Order: sequence, then structure tokens, then C-alpha cells
Amino acid sequence: MTATTPAGWLLVVALVLPVAGMLLAFVLGGRAAERLALLLLGLGVGVGVAVSAAVLRMGAPIVYLPGGWAPPLGLALVADGVAAAMLLTTALVLFAVALFGRAAHATPPDQAETRAALAYWCFLLALAGSLAAAFLGGDLFNLFVALEMLTFAALSLACLEGKPSQFRSELRYLLFALIGSVLYLLGTALLYGGYGTLDFRLLAGRTRADLPTLLAAALMTAGLAAKMALFPLHLWLPPAHAGAPPAASALLSGLVVKAAFVLLLRVWIWVLPPLPAMAAAPLLAALGAAAILVGSLVALRQARLKLLVAYSTVAQIGYLFLMLPLVLSGAAETASHAWLGGLLQAGSHAFAKAAMFLAAGLIATALGHDRVTALGGAGQAVPRAVFAFGLAGLSLMGIPPSGGFTAKWLLLTSALGDGQWWWAAVILGGGLLTGGYVYRVLAGTIAAPPGDAPRPRPLPHGPQNVALGLALISVALGLLPLASFGLVQIGRPGALGALP
Amino acid sequence: MTGAQGLMVLTLAAPLALLLACLWPAPRRRVPGLLWLAPLPGLLAALFAAGAPPLVMDGAGLRLTLALDAPSALLLGAAALLWSAAGAYAPAYLGRQAGLERFAVWWLVTLWGSLGVFLAGDLVTFYLTFAAVSLAAFGLIVQDGTPRARRAGEITLLLAVMGEVCLLLAFALLADAVPTSSLAIADAVAALPGSPARGLILGLLVAGFGLKAGLVPLHVWLPLAHPAAPMPASAVLSGAIVKAGIIGLLRFLPADGALEGWGDGLAALGLFTAFWAVGCGITQTNPKTVLAYSTVSQMGVTVAALGMGLALAVPGTAMAVAFYAMHHVLAKGALFLAVGLAGAVGGARRTGLLLLPALFLALGFGGLPGSGGALAKLAVKPQLDAGLVGALAALSAAGSTLLMLHFIRRLASLPPADATARPSWVPLLAWLGMAGAAVLGPWVLFGAIGPGDPWLGDSWEALAKDPVGLLWPVLLGAVLALLLGRWGGHLPTVPEGDLLVLAGRVGRGGAIIGAAVSHLEKRLRAWPTAGLALLVLVLALFGALLAGAG
Repeated sequence: MTATTPAGWLLVVALVLPVAGMLLAFVLGGRAAERLALLLLGLGVGVGVAVSAAVLRMGAPIVYLPGGWAPPLGLALVADGVAAAMLLTTALVLFAVALFGRAAHATPPDQAETRAALAYWCFLLALAGSLAAAFLGGDLFNLFVALEMLTFAALSLACLEGKPSQFRSELRYLLFALIGSVLYLLGTALLYGGYGTLDFRLLAGRTRADLPTLLAAALMTAGLAAKMALFPLHLWLPPAHAGAPPAASALLSGLVVKAAFVLLLRVWIWVLPPLPAMAAAPLLAALGAAAILVGSLVALRQARLKLLVAYSTVAQIGYLFLMLPLVLSGAAETASHAWLGGLLQAGSHAFAKAAMFLAAGLIATALGHDRVTALGGAGQAVPRAVFAFGLAGLSLMGIPPSGGFTAKWLLLTSALGDGQWWWAAVILGGGLLTGGYVYRVLAGTIAAPPGDAPRPRPLPHGPQNVALGLALISVALGLLPLASFGLVQIGRPGALGALP
Repeated sequence: MTGAQGLMVLTLAAPLALLLACLWPAPRRRVPGLLWLAPLPGLLAALFAAGAPPLVMDGAGLRLTLALDAPSALLLGAAALLWSAAGAYAPAYLGRQAGLERFAVWWLVTLWGSLGVFLAGDLVTFYLTFAAVSLAAFGLIVQDGTPRARRAGEITLLLAVMGEVCLLLAFALLADAVPTSSLAIADAVAALPGSPARGLILGLLVAGFGLKAGLVPLHVWLPLAHPAAPMPASAVLSGAIVKAGIIGLLRFLPADGALEGWGDGLAALGLFTAFWAVGCGITQTNPKTVLAYSTVSQMGVTVAALGMGLALAVPGTAMAVAFYAMHHVLAKGALFLAVGLAGAVGGARRTGLLLLPALFLALGFGGLPGSGGALAKLAVKPQLDAGLVGALAALSAAGSTLLMLHFIRRLASLPPADATARPSWVPLLAWLGMAGAAVLGPWVLFGAIGPGDPWLGDSWEALAKDPVGLLWPVLLGAVLALLLGRWGGHLPTVPEGDLLVLAGRVGRGGAIIGAAVSHLEKRLRAWPTAGLALLVLVLALFGALLAGAG
């Protein structure tokens, strides 16, 4: 903890590449920005793989101390198992979305660059940089800054088309996210006052269950829950995610909410003393359960495809909270299963939901609208997009083989193993409802188009293949043997062979 | 890997290889013509790999097991044969329609699952193959694209997913009950009697598998789906796919009498199903619907035999039940293929090639001496012999005769082709081949399933022992059929899927709940409510944390 570990420089690369790229792209403009973004996001995948491999090889978190200053004086960059896995997930989704965006945001040689295209490539890199910062930061204040950068980068992508409706819904997002930020910031101030450091690894095991610490935890958690749109704080998510362009929706739903989730884990698993955490975790999980049931039910009744997918995000985020009581109060094996299940849910949902939003965007483009009751003909016009939607839906439902199935199976068995069967009932009920709304969409798309409808427009294969690729990854996660996910356990307090 | 184990792997690999070929347009066009090939490795595996040592593939932390015991091999062989015959029948029946390639894809996924359940030796493989056979059957049912087919498909899918949920929960509880991290079915079954959640697990297993096998009241999808599907798909649905439920019950219920009460309960449920389906079936006019109800009734008898075998701890129950089910695979599959030919054959050929063989198969379900069905009835006699159960079983055989004679009457009333029409030879061969297998298969297999392993004794001897006992249910059934023909018009009409009429009320209730939740959610999305919720969350979290610290 007091020195930079071998391969620590990789973390600097992971941060500096996208940030430097964004600045350079902004200067160079249009076509160069596109090439640079594609190149750097492609390299990002390589960096993600390298970081994961390094963590796995060392069996311990890799650390970089800028300037050699160790916390509490300096700030650390840390990649433990969670961070490495999320970094890799993020890199893959970002690269895929970049490839997807080439169709809409290319600048052909004989045309002047457009504002939207330049903004798309620059903010894509900005998003990559802020996500890397949010996963790799070791300091709770630094993480807050990363989260703010993330919000602004995501907002800019969401408002790219400049429609008034977009500004309205994104402003709602911004306002609510800012309220969340204020609460979080208050919490960090309280913690800093109490312990003189905000490094979560230094705080781990040292926090006391006193009033300021617990108040700080409550404030930070509520703030993060607002940023994650945990039911009933989800008012901003459906319009913001459904109103954005498909590429932005995919990133918002797939990745941006996961950054706040990782931060929530830092607070609950690392910083909070175990006893109070154990007592309060069921409260969060209960809200997660409500999110699953209400979100899925409301998704089932949506008239617009993109809103349906957005409500599905509200529901799927709920699953992430179910892991908390299981990890905190379970026996060692239950805890490790629940931990893996929760993170696998985060990862497979990232791929599946990104695929789903991209596919929904393509379906809407091909049909010229996204009314769920009139999707007929989409199956012929954009068959791969429909297939991608279906595969992603299977993963969200938890039908094997898929990452979603493995995730839900792990959560299910740990809930039963720990005697907390009520979470199991929620997981199964949520799967049933998810099946309902996925079926509604799929059945609509394979139906014949109504006679008077304009013929759907067939679209090129390229973007469809991207959506399909993401969906296939979310399925493939379920085919990997569980032992290959040992990565995510590295550095978790309470994991075998780690800090107590 | 030995040759036998290689056959098991090949059974699963062959449909997957054809599926893979569907990724490219040129091979995809040829796949429908090759459907009959895909199940053949399964047939070979059933013949040569039964009883081979299980194949354990031990990836890091995940053990996949393929195993084939004798009861599974019986069912695997029969199912593979039916899938092959129906696969040859399908392209000819469906013709060159646009959806043929899509049909082939659904067909292969379903086939993969259908054969896979007989081979699966661990919870994960079993769940995976069971999900494939349950969910992909949807694509076969809705092939025609009519509103009726779509409704049938949707109800099937909904119930199939609910069945999956039951099984998933049951498997999770089983995995939790096993003291080691093993996921083998054998370990799970061994741990079941000692599990604290025993009753719940058994209930979930019976619900999940009973749904697939069509036990009342979970049978409602069957009389809807089987008639709505194209003919070859109906054949595999009724013949092979419902057996996924039977093999599940055979695999997961401990056979050593450790389940007091459950065996009797299953038997009662099975017999009730047998009679219920006959009652509903005789009011139907569509011959396919009659056949579907007959499937429900026959699965009821199968489950009753299993239940009594468990309750009385009769040795060899699994084998006897599998034998009974095997005859059903072959005979019921064959009869569905016959319905598809009824409109294509005319004149004397129709009587000779279609109606007479169909009549013989049909009477076999009642136990007509000499038919394969008679041997099937003999096989489960040790289970269904005692007292009241014996009488009820014989009565249900009479009911089966009645129902199947009703089917023959409905089949004969289908409009025939003109006298000169010649059916194409592939479907005809598929039907006659399956009919032959349904008669001869049981005769060949009754005496011995492996070299020097006689398990039921000499079939002739067994038949000669009690010819009257086999004959009277058939005669009673025939008399009842005459009465039905005379006065059947006075019977009330039961809609396909009988109990499903009650589901409308449930659906309306669901819609009301959905509307209420939507309304509530809309209120929560208002700014003031959300702000208040945030405040309450901070306070509640703080309170909960404090309570935990104190």
C-alpha cells in the first residue's frame, strides 16, 4: 500500500490515453478526431486486458502512487479485481459503441466537419477517461470528481442532437445528479473530518461506528443511489436514457450507472464498519427488490420501445443491490458467490443493455417510429438487430446460457444458502416479468407489418453487427467456467487471503 | 473418451453443427432437407452407449456430465427415431414455403434440447437442455403464423417460463442441499431426502416437470399447442417433447422409497389426469386435439405408474415407466404423422395404408393383445396392479380405447383426396415406419434390453398369462365408443385447453395490478415525491446504520 507495484504504470496509461486523446481530438477536428478516438478506444481494450492480466498474475491489487506520495498525503491509483473487471467491460462497450457511431458520425473527405460529429468523438474519449478515473481512483474525493466529469460527458453525448426534448430530460438528470453530488460531498467532508484521509483502503477496517461516520455513509449512499436511479429515485432515468441518441443511451444505461455502483461498493464493503452495514443492507436490497418488480411491471406496459428498455434498466439496477446483504452477512462462500453474482450482473447487464439500446435504435430507425404495438416488419428489415435484442433479452431474463443466468443463479443460490429466500423469490419473479416485456418486443418484430404501414427501411449490416457482438458477449459470459472469474475477488475485504 | 462416450457427445454435436451451418445462406437452404440426419447419432448412442461410464468434462470448477442409463436410453432411442422420421416428413409437409429455414432452426434447437435431457448428468446441462426444448418449441408452434397458433404459442411460452422458474428454484435448493460443490444429479437426488426444504423442492420439481408432461391442471397448453403446430412438429411435441417431463421425474425423484406420501400423491394426480383428459377429449372434433388429450391421458397413466412404483418401492420402476413412455413416443408420433396424410390419400389406399394401421395403433393404447401397447401395459402391471389402483388403471385403459376410437372416427371423417391421389413416398414411409416401430419396437425390447439382461421376462408368456385382463378394457372401450357415436352429440363442447377459460379472470386481475403499479410509479416520478423520498432514504439509512451500531 505504500509503494507503486509493478505494472502500476498501466493505470496511468489507462487514464492518460483517453484524456490526452480528447484534448488532441478537439484541436485536430473532425476526421482526425474519429480516427484518433477509434484508435485510442481500441487501445483501451488492450489496456483493459493488460490491467486485468496484471492483477490476475499478481493476485493482488496493482497500485500507482503519482509522484511517489503515499496516502494519506498523496493520492493512489488502485486497480483491484472489481476495478480491472469493470475497466475491461467499459473498454469493450466503449469500443463497440464507437464502431457503432461511425455510421452516423463519420466525416467524409469532401464534407466539412459537423459540430455533432466532433462532439461525439471528443466526448466519447472524455467518457472513457472519466470512467477509468471512477474505477481506478483510490480516494473518495477523487472518485467524486470522476463521477462529476462522467455526468457532464454523458450529458453532452445525450444532448448531441440538440432537440429541446433532450435538453429538458437531460436537465432533469443533471439536477438530480447534482443533488446526489451534494449529499455525497457532505459525506466525504464528514469522513475527512473524522479520519484525515479519504483513501478507501486506508479507511477499510479503521472506521468507527460513531455518529459522523454513519451519517456520512447515509448521505453518501443516498447520493449515489440518486445517481444510480435506485427506485424510488428513478424519476430522471427513463426520459434521460430513452430520449438520448442510441449510442448515448447504450453508454448511459450500460456503463455510467455502474460507475456510481462501484463507488457504492467502495463505501459499503470497504469503508463502512461491518456491523452497521449488515443492519442497513436489507433496506437497500428491499429498494432494489422494489425496483426489480415495479420497473419490470412498468416496462411491460410501456408504449415506446426505448422507454421500455429504459425501465428495464431501472429494474436491472435493482439486482445490483440484492448482493449487499448477501455479501455482508453471508458465510465466506456465500459472500464470495454473491459478490461474483453481483459483479457479473453489472458486467453482463452492461453488454446486454448496450446491445439492447443499440438494437432498439436501429429498429426505430428502420421503422421510422418506436411504438411497441407496431413493430411488425422489423424482423425482415433489421434481422440482426432483432436477434441482438432477443439475445440480450435472454441474458436479462436469466435464461441459460448467458451471463445474466450465471449472475442470477449465483445470487439465487447464495440467497437460499443464507436462508434469505425472499430475495430468491424477487429474482425469479423479476425474470418472469422480464420475459414478458422481451417477448412483447420480439413477438411484435417478427409479426407481419400492417398493410398500410410504410415499408421498413433495411439498414446496413455494420451497426447491426456491433449490437449483435455485444449481445453475444453478454451470452458468452455465461459459458465461461466460474473459476475464470477469480479476478473479481482480488482485493475484496473478507475474500480468502485478503485483509480481514 | 471411449466410442460410446463419443456417441453421446456426437448426439449433442450433430444438431449444433447443422445450426452452425445455418449461419451461411448457401448451407442454410440445404439444412431443411438434412433434418432427418441430425437425431441419428442419438439413435446410435441409445443402441450402443447405454450403460457406458458417464463422461465427465471437468472444466475449472464446472463439471459437466453426460450419462446414459438404460431407462434414458430407451427414451432417447425412441425420441431420436421419431425426430428422424418427423424430420424427413417436415420438408415434404411444409413444402417450399418462405419460413422453412426459420422452422429448421427452431427444429434443431428443440431437437438438441429434447435429446439432451436424456443425456444430461448434471444440473446445469439438464437445465440448459430442458430450457432449450421448452422454449424453442414456441417457434415450432407458431410456424403457421395464424392468430390461433400465436395464442397457443404464447400460452405455451408463458407456462414454459413459469415451469423454468419452478425448476430453477428447485435446482438452486438442491445445489444448496448437496454438501459438496458437486452439481451432479445423482448427488442432488441423494441429498434431497435430507434437505430441510424437501417438501418445497419436491413440489417445485413436480410442478416444473408435470407442466411439461401435461399433468392436470398444468396441461392446458398441450391441447392448444399440439393441434396448432404443423403436423411434424405436433408429432415431436406430443411424442418426444413431453417426455422431457417424464425423464425429469424419473431422474430427480429418489426411487428408494424415501418419499412417504409423494408416491401416492403422484399416482392420484396421474390417474385423475388420465380420466380428466378422456372426458375432455371425447368432446373434441379436431383429430389432432383428440390426440393431444390422449397424450395428456397417457402421461397421466405414466406418472401414476411412477407414483405407485415409488410408493410401493417396486424394483425396476424406472425401466417399466420408461418402457411405457417409449411406446407412447413411437405410437403417438406415428398417429400425428397419419393425420397429416389423411388429406393426401384417397380411395382404397386410404383404408389400407392409413386407417387400418392407425386403428391398430389406436387400440394399442387400450392394450389390445398383440399390439405394442399391450406390452407397455404389461410392463407397468407390477406398479398398477394393486386393488383400487388396478381397477382404475383398467378403467383408464377402457377410457383410452374410447378416446382413440373417437380419434379414428374423426380421422376417417377428414375430407379425403380423390381416389387417384398418390401421397409422396417420404411422408408415407415415415408414417408406416413409425407405425411399424410402435408395434415391433416393444416386442423386440420387452424381453431384453441388453445382451443377457432379461428384465421383464418372455413377452409371449406374459401375454398368455392373463389374456382376458387385457381384453376387457378394450371391449368396454369399444362399447362406450359405440354409445358415444350414437349419443355423443348431446355432450357439451369443451373448449381446447378446458381449464384455460378460468385464466381470463387471472389475466384481468393482472391487468388491474399492472395499472395500479403504473399509476403509483407515475406519482413517485413527480419532483416533490422524489425529493421527499431522497430525504426519507437518508434518514432511514442513518437510522438503520445506527440501529446496527448500537
